[in-house]
Amino acid sequence: MNDACQSTIMSDAETPSPLPYTDTKPVGHADFYFATNATFRFIQRHHGEEALRKYWRDIGTSYYRPVTLKWAEQGMHGVADYWRAFFQAEPGSDVEVIESGDEVRLEVKRCPAIHHLRDHGRAIVPSFCQHCYFVSEAIAAPAGLTVRICGGNGTCTQRFIQRTADVAPQNLEDITTAS
Amino acid sequence: MIGCYDFCGHYEWTFEWLRAQGGHDLVRAYWDEAIHQDSQLHASKLIEAKGIEGMKEYWGPTLADEGAVYERTVTDDVFRIDMHECPSKGFLLRNGLNQYTDYCDHCMGWIGPLMQKAGFVIDHEHNHCGQCWWEMRRATDATTPGQSGELAGKGDVRLRPDWKSPHTDHYARATDPDDKTTV
Repeated sequence: MNDACQSTIMSDAETPSPLPYTDTKPVGHADFYFATNATFRFIQRHHGEEALRKYWRDIGTSYYRPVTLKWAEQGMHGVADYWRAFFQAEPGSDVEVIESGDEVRLEVKRCPAIHHLRDHGRAIVPSFCQHCYFVSEAIAAPAGLTVRICGGNGTCTQRFIQRTADVAPQNLEDITTAS
Repeated sequence: MIGCYDFCGHYEWTFEWLRAQGGHDLVRAYWDEAIHQDSQLHASKLIEAKGIEGMKEYWGPTLADEGAVYERTVTDDVFRIDMHECPSKGFLLRNGLNQYTDYCDHCMGWIGPLMQKAGFVIDHEHNHCGQCWWEMRRATDATTPGQSGELAGKGDVRLRPDWKSPHTDHYARATDPDDKTTV
């Protein structure tokens, strides 16, 4: 099917991007956060919290597989590049990406999703902020990395570090319930 | 974080994930419950309350924000869209993303139930290449869609030299995503 459409939609000029999938627009359409939140609610309602976690893990290992490959190849520099490009394309975000030799830290001062949902009076799935942990961990683990998150509900800190035996597991209670 | 920049990519991936978990019925339920009744409830409220005027108010800003290239034709009786460059399908084509059997079905999947509730029916055709047309009329109006160019003039997407693809999917006075015939 896609091959048949090549004559109607031309490919963009190849420009290197840290993002695996690129658009012609510089930033995304914020109302799509409504659909992401609704998707979480639908899976949770129909199949429960564990199924929602499976969805997050599966999307991390499958859809975001190209990100894993870049992180495995480029290490912490690739992690930092990815998140800088990622948040540049998310409308309304305010995130500092701090790169040191063995760690990349995201200081999320304004989460674009939480703020857009809140600004529009949407009921936010309480475990919404956990998706950042489960998705990022699924991306990071095959690259030899891991993530630890503290905070949530609009502001948080996310640390991407080497995956070693002495790293304490993520405590989900450190991730704030969204509202 | 799952972002909005590449939303159409993970949205399409999600259709196939849901199909693998619960089959076609779960995908249909997702389009209706999660998209129509939850995500797009602002569209539902506008169109149920204002009919064709609500369609103008919803699709005008939304398609502009998404970066669509389209023509709109509106009368007292019909709301027509000729989509020349669908931003959503275009994103998938450019990035080589094709997990689900027919991504384009999702539009009828959420807009169909919305229109049914609002008292409208839909004539629609998509070519799987980022082009489609839609005509929404009140369910009490038996008018059938016109020939190419009759309503939308030169903006009719069917007049494009590249409109034809290996096949188009067609809906006639429908509100159900499964009520399609392949041409």
